[in-house]
Amino acid sequence: MGNKQTIFTDEQLDAYQDCTFFTRKEILRLHGRYHELAPHLVPMDYTTEPDCKIPLALIVNMPELKENPFRNRIVESFSEDGMGNLSFNEFVDMFSVLSETAPRELKAIYAFKIYDFNVDNFLCKEDLEKTLNRLTKEELTPEEVDLVCEKTIEEADLDGDSKLSFADFENMITRAPDFLSTFHIRI
Amino acid sequence: MTSYSSRGFFNAAYHDSETLEMDRRSGTKPPHTNPYAREEPVRWGGRLGGRDEAAWGATDGGLQDESRRGRDHITTGAGAPPFPHQPYHNRFQADNRYNQRPQARLPSLVSDNMTMRLRGIAMRRMSMFPHASPADVDLTENAIREEMENDEQNLMKELVSMSTLEQTRAIRELTMSFEAKKRIRNKVLAFRSVKKSHEFTWFAELSENTSLFFRRCGYTMRSARQALELWHGIMKEIGGKFGSSVLTYFMFLKWLLLFNIFSFVVNFSFITVPLLVYDPNITSSVSFRGLELLTGAGYFTHTVMYYGAYSNETLKHGVEYNLQLAYFFTIAVYMVLCGIALIFSMASSFKKNFVLVDPASTSAWQLLCSWDFSVTSEKTVTQRKNNLRVQLKESLSEKAQQELLTVPEKLKHFGIHFCSWLVSTALVVGCAASIFFLCQYEGKLFSQWGPGAASLQQEAETLLVPFMVSLMNLVIPLFFSLFNKLEHYSNNRSQIYTLVVRNVFLRMSILGVLCYYWMNEVSLRSPSQCWESMVGQALYRLVIVDFFFQMLGSFFGEFLRNVIGTKLHRRLGPPEFDVARNVLDLIYAQTLAWIGIYFSPLLPSIQILKFFILFYLKKVSLTQNCQPPRRTGRAAQMQTIFIFLLFFPFFVGAISIVGYTSWSLNPSQNCGPFRGLNQAFSVVEIWIEGLHILPGSGWAVWIYKNIIRSEIFYFLITLIILGVTYVFYQLIQGRKELIGLLKQRIINEGKDKSFLLDKIQNLQSSRPKKDTRQSKDGRSSHQPSLGGHSDAVRQALLARQQAEQEEATYSDGVSVPADISTSSALMQAMLARQRAERETEDLYQRVEDPPSSFTALSLAMEARQRAEGEMLQDNSREGDFYENPTTASSAVSQAIQARLRAEEEASASSAMMQVMKARQQAEQEAGMQWTDVQLQNPAVSSSSAVAQAMQARLRAEEELPASSVMMQVMQARQQAEQEAGMEWAHVQPQNPAAAGSSALIQAMLARQQAQNEYDDGY
Repeated sequence: MGNKQTIFTDEQLDAYQDCTFFTRKEILRLHGRYHELAPHLVPMDYTTEPDCKIPLALIVNMPELKENPFRNRIVESFSEDGMGNLSFNEFVDMFSVLSETAPRELKAIYAFKIYDFNVDNFLCKEDLEKTLNRLTKEELTPEEVDLVCEKTIEEADLDGDSKLSFADFENMITRAPDFLSTFHIRI
Repeated sequence: MTSYSSRGFFNAAYHDSETLEMDRRSGTKPPHTNPYAREEPVRWGGRLGGRDEAAWGATDGGLQDESRRGRDHITTGAGAPPFPHQPYHNRFQADNRYNQRPQARLPSLVSDNMTMRLRGIAMRRMSMFPHASPADVDLTENAIREEMENDEQNLMKELVSMSTLEQTRAIRELTMSFEAKKRIRNKVLAFRSVKKSHEFTWFAELSENTSLFFRRCGYTMRSARQALELWHGIMKEIGGKFGSSVLTYFMFLKWLLLFNIFSFVVNFSFITVPLLVYDPNITSSVSFRGLELLTGAGYFTHTVMYYGAYSNETLKHGVEYNLQLAYFFTIAVYMVLCGIALIFSMASSFKKNFVLVDPASTSAWQLLCSWDFSVTSEKTVTQRKNNLRVQLKESLSEKAQQELLTVPEKLKHFGIHFCSWLVSTALVVGCAASIFFLCQYEGKLFSQWGPGAASLQQEAETLLVPFMVSLMNLVIPLFFSLFNKLEHYSNNRSQIYTLVVRNVFLRMSILGVLCYYWMNEVSLRSPSQCWESMVGQALYRLVIVDFFFQMLGSFFGEFLRNVIGTKLHRRLGPPEFDVARNVLDLIYAQTLAWIGIYFSPLLPSIQILKFFILFYLKKVSLTQNCQPPRRTGRAAQMQTIFIFLLFFPFFVGAISIVGYTSWSLNPSQNCGPFRGLNQAFSVVEIWIEGLHILPGSGWAVWIYKNIIRSEIFYFLITLIILGVTYVFYQLIQGRKELIGLLKQRIINEGKDKSFLLDKIQNLQSSRPKKDTRQSKDGRSSHQPSLGGHSDAVRQALLARQQAEQEEATYSDGVSVPADISTSSALMQAMLARQRAERETEDLYQRVEDPPSSFTALSLAMEARQRAEGEMLQDNSREGDFYENPTTASSAVSQAIQARLRAEEEASASSAMMQVMKARQQAEQEAGMQWTDVQLQNPAVSSSSAVAQAMQARLRAEEELPASSVMMQVMQARQQAEQEAGMEWAHVQPQNPAAAGSSALIQAMLARQQAQNEYDDGY
């Protein structure tokens, strides 16, 4: 960023580069974005690793997430407390997983978490219904929703427990090459 | 204060243990020294620091051990999880290592840090088999913790053994939060530096610094590449507004642009620059008139733009630079590089997008994979939602109908397809023929020209052929789309593919005819003129005119269509961006550039300009006129197909034409680098002959004679490639079969699982009836059954412990007849469990019936709560508490008290040791007390039995009021886990994940069921 103020030390940036899919510049850009969200909360100087978190309501207002039907779930999946408050590290984590270079397995795990609304580690019918309603503005009739969810489970469920485990989900993901390009938010 | 209650603190053996040393201080930092503390930045400040070290003590210790004693030791720390129910002191000492860790059993200690790790590692495990849910974490914290530490240590071991590059990648791809990754990274780095410090220090430092330097260099390169990355913002905007399928067009355009920049740089620096340096005064005899920009003729004819202007001389400025060779090799190497780049990108794209594509799952795909997370515009989001809804409805109705076509309908469809193919083929052939005749007509016109400069009109006439070609390229595809509308394709994809195939066919035949004309007529017709330059000019015109037509295309196709759609025919709406057509245009343009590279080495510069302008043009047209595509087709596959198309007919065609020209055609005699030669390839021959003189170049000559010029070599190469291809083909077939079998297996596993679940359900639903009956008539045998109950619990625990140990040895890889022993232990555990279940249920009913035992239980609970409260208030008031009259509960409370103290002190793993000891002792004493009290007071004894059971459970889990049901849960889990272990071991060679996961799912289900029962019980 333009100003000469140090935001991170070199060691911090190295750690970020080693542990995420971002370069130094992108990390700084992300910090800028994070700072923008709550200028009064987030300090510019991150060399001392201040312990501050931004609440969900502010994060989902980012233009990248604002229109996303799963915005709350995305933020919640990456927040430590499960309530959607993100520290900067979690914020970086989120966009790292959603970046272009993140591998399929990583993306699949978090996609699964995002779709798993009731956090029971299975995509059951209830989760799928919620997903579907978010994707279609709740304009399908209940019967149609039912049918689609059943079909989905039928197609993707390998072990016949009539809900999708992570293995089922991952198996489906490997058969859907678009997933890599669609589960991607450019920052 | 009763004597036994204080025994724990005055026990000499207890004081002798090293743990107490650590515990004498209160509130100071635990003396557990973290060897890497200095490596970790100040991120865990103050209070957190203690937690962190306690939490990671085990791992650190393990690593330290490893650094000291070698790698094999690392496993021993977490290898055998001993059951803490050990009444013997010495045994307990041996378990120190284990007891250092268990801070996780104290709920208040489960810091953020802890849950984070749980999440991280649970997630990682989830990638192998779905197991721990967050709700589950509470229950199986013990098990998870052990596993987690195992995991952690294994992970560290793996990481440490990797090379730096792999390490960084592996860390980056861990499914943990950033904090966890960073910690692991720091540890790995620290470990490495520790390892290195045992070697020469200065060397270690040097290598450390170098690796750091290289890493930083790598990141700088990455940043630089990103900075060079064109149009990041625009790409983001397009992706946000139109989704990733439209974005593929722009990515493709950018990719081609980079190709052209590369070829321009190569050609310019190796061919043009030497010529300009050698002879900077290549000036045209003709003045510049402006029309040249369109036709490429006139002024440009004798410039470095075309083949004709290049010299065949050898430059001698200190070093010799043979322009002939330079020209030949630059083009050849460029073509080969292009081919390799294409093959690689095609292969990687194919691998990524096509390998496992399963067209069968559409609604699952639509529901879970099709949403484009990059879309950010509100309008698009609404539209996408609508589209998805429509598509889902369509697919539902299609599924509902599934009608079979009757024979006449089939015939009709077939007839329509046949007709449209016939008509489109006729169109293509007609176009090709008309172009050919047009070319011949143009040739006649040219031959009428004088040798001097052509007039403006004559020059403009040269634009006729490119104009017609581009017009056909624009118009005929419209017809094809029309046919496509008439034909009723059952599926969207075959519709797109047909369209693409027809368009490719059209462009290929047009290009084929043009090339035929150039090769066979132009090259023979005018030996006096520079025919290569004429072909170059023709290509230049094609490139330029194609550019104008693309602009026109986006004007008419998109702008006018938009005006019509929004103003006149509201129903039509704004047009969609046709990715397939636009990409084909790009492919066609690029093919022209490839063919032209031999005839006009600087053609890529024009191409660069063209693509650059086109990018902005298309972007503006897209954002102004178009709406996002309705059908979100599988963009990734389309992209692969486009790259394939670019490679297969087009690039291969271009390279064969260039190859044919340089191998077989006579170059012009009066111009160009190859003047005076029979073929351009003769350059190499002459060069090789010249090499004979030079010593030490025998190998080059040998290679030329025996490999390049020998048919046998190519024959053999072809044979080998065919063979390898066949082998790979067979491999693929085998893999497909295997995949099918494995799938079947998974399905079978699922069936097995549901069958077993049904069985369990039947069993459990039949049991309660029996139990109620038993409890009704078993009222008289009240006391014995109580004793039996606690015995059963104990037995179950013991059995479990035994099983666990066996499992541990089994997992350690010691070749015990583990199957047998495990299964027998399992049997035992199951039996014990059943008994315990029955009796706990009895107990429950009884607990509700006789108020006395219930009050005793509640008394115990109360006492415990009180103890907790008191302990929280003041540690010094312990004495009061010991005077509590309820003896059984005092034993319990002592343990709890000690535990509470540990909780307060939080960080000290040594405190845990103390707690364990205190509890252990308390338990023993409780046992004794129990036997004493049993005779006197059945109610108290029942409470003490319950308390004991609770204690046993406490060791493993957090406190919940319903100990007996939870016990059952634990048992069920245990059983399932063991089964999982066994099954896993059996199935491992074939399909480890599936079996493991199914067993674990079973465990989960059993747990849920137990919980349900527990709810019902209340």
